[in-house]
Amino acid sequence: MNFKERILTAMNHEEPDRVPVMGLIVDPATVNKTLNKKPTDLVGMIKKPWLAPLIARFMNTNRFWQSFYYSNTAGCLESALKLGFDANWTIYALMQLRKDTKSALGWAWHDAYGRVWDLDTDEDGNTAVNYSRALLETEEQWERWVEAKKPLFQTLTRNVEGFHKKLVKNYGDRILPIGYAAPGIFENSWQPMGFVNFTRFVYQKPDFVKKVISFHTDHYLKNLEAVMKSGVEVVLGGDDFGQKTGPMLRPELIEKLFGESYRRVTDLVHKQKKKYIHHSCGNIYQLLDRFVAWGFDGIITLEPTAGMDLGKVRQQVGHKLVLIGNMDVSYLLVRGSREEIEEAVKKALRDAARGGGYILSSSHSHPLVDPARLGWMVEAAHKYGKYPISL
Amino acid sequence: MSKEILEQLKTSLLELDMEATLKAANSAVKGEGTTTAQDAVNAVSDALQVVGKRFQTGEWFLSELVYAGEIATEVMKLLSPLMKADSSKSLGTVVVGTVAGDIHDLGKNIFINYARSAGFNVIDLGVDVPVPKFVNAVKEHKPLALGISCLLTSTDKEIGRVIEELKRQKIRGSVKVIIGGAALTEGFARSAGVDAFVPDAVTGTDIVRKWSASQ
Repeated sequence: MNFKERILTAMNHEEPDRVPVMGLIVDPATVNKTLNKKPTDLVGMIKKPWLAPLIARFMNTNRFWQSFYYSNTAGCLESALKLGFDANWTIYALMQLRKDTKSALGWAWHDAYGRVWDLDTDEDGNTAVNYSRALLETEEQWERWVEAKKPLFQTLTRNVEGFHKKLVKNYGDRILPIGYAAPGIFENSWQPMGFVNFTRFVYQKPDFVKKVISFHTDHYLKNLEAVMKSGVEVVLGGDDFGQKTGPMLRPELIEKLFGESYRRVTDLVHKQKKKYIHHSCGNIYQLLDRFVAWGFDGIITLEPTAGMDLGKVRQQVGHKLVLIGNMDVSYLLVRGSREEIEEAVKKALRDAARGGGYILSSSHSHPLVDPARLGWMVEAAHKYGKYPISL
Repeated sequence: MSKEILEQLKTSLLELDMEATLKAANSAVKGEGTTTAQDAVNAVSDALQVVGKRFQTGEWFLSELVYAGEIATEVMKLLSPLMKADSSKSLGTVVVGTVAGDIHDLGKNIFINYARSAGFNVIDLGVDVPVPKFVNAVKEHKPLALGISCLLTSTDKEIGRVIEELKRQKIRGSVKVIIGGAALTEGFARSAGVDAFVPDAVTGTDIVRKWSASQ
């Protein structure tokens, strides 16, 4: 079997020749280490007062972001290929570098949805980008923002299509790119206004919350359609519903607010005979049955540091969901020994791989993940993951 | 009447009804019945303890924990000006901040709401706090505990730097250090040499309460 057959067979809950391995490589630190590339010191350049406005002028064009995200994701796919993965997910976004006095750097990325992303440098000199806060704290600010950014949303959708077409054309015969529409509907609804404000609005302005979710659902569906025009077979939606100890909202409230939206998502994907994988960090046991009811085909991360155990998840959902991930990135793939990684892979295969429906993967991307250890994970998958599994 | 007002205050908060909770708090402020501001604060504190337990047992969720904290904050804005500073009733001082390079404050602020309601004097250093500011605050306030929040893997090394500086200045033994945040794990806490790692703000408040009781 080739990479594509292997992934799609597992996605259909059938046994491929061996357990497939998927990458979540999106972190520049992992890409640079894998490809032996030197990081670009973007933060160092922005720190120079005379240079920062020039960088902003250069960066704040559609052409730059198209090229930036394509070359970043191409690097991710090159890394994934080098490590022997069958698939890797893709990321596309549209940012603007803005002067921002609240950010330590004095500049920050503001995304199309109204989030602020702080830029920093890790110890190896890679740029670290993290969501830090909201720009739209009131209903009026949100209304003004989405009205003003209408052309940007249209550009984003166009770019998403072109970006994925190029990736499929250049990499589709060697690795399966897992298409990515946009940040999920829940995250796009709460992060631009902050979790405290979102929570207040849920209780005090439910109609406004409904309007926000409806807006992001429509936008998400447009992006998904654009992604699928590229010919990708599997799409991934990233929407963290969980935190370390459980869902962020009461599951019934999640159903009420987002159930219809996600049913529309899976309807659209399934009409085109594609598969939908959902990425959610955190402890999500209480949401798994809902995800099945919403029509998700697979679930990814299954974060062990949030208490997610593959065996328990398989027991709970059976083969109604493809399970992906669960390899720890807090210790195992950072400092674990070859034996520890081998044991963890064997345990994952025992817990979830029989009958297909399991794709081995790290539980998340992470700057400290060591490519050598990812390589050991792949080796263990090849050694012990041949079907029928006999562990 | 007093008992009814206090019961109303507590019940409304547990029903997450901001308007009814503030109405009850206003009645307390006006001194209806024999209710004092301190009685009302105690009722809020009792209610938040129930909220915390509900969150820890999985009965309630993060958004409910956050919104209950928001209601409590609004109520405290009404009650605080009427309270006389009485440090003898404090369970101790806790200094709290988010590490340098990180400006996330959700977890930290939830912890502050709950710790204050539990009776701690909380010094909030804010976000993006450099190592010297943490250390100077420990020297100045001599707290029972230092709470450090960190959500980014790119900044978790700051915690080790705080610990090293506390040791270098020979004050590590005078303060318990508790950490929390998405970037952190038990394993990290052990290697950084802190006293406790907590998965959520309510557990954090419980641990600091235990430390206070064992003093």
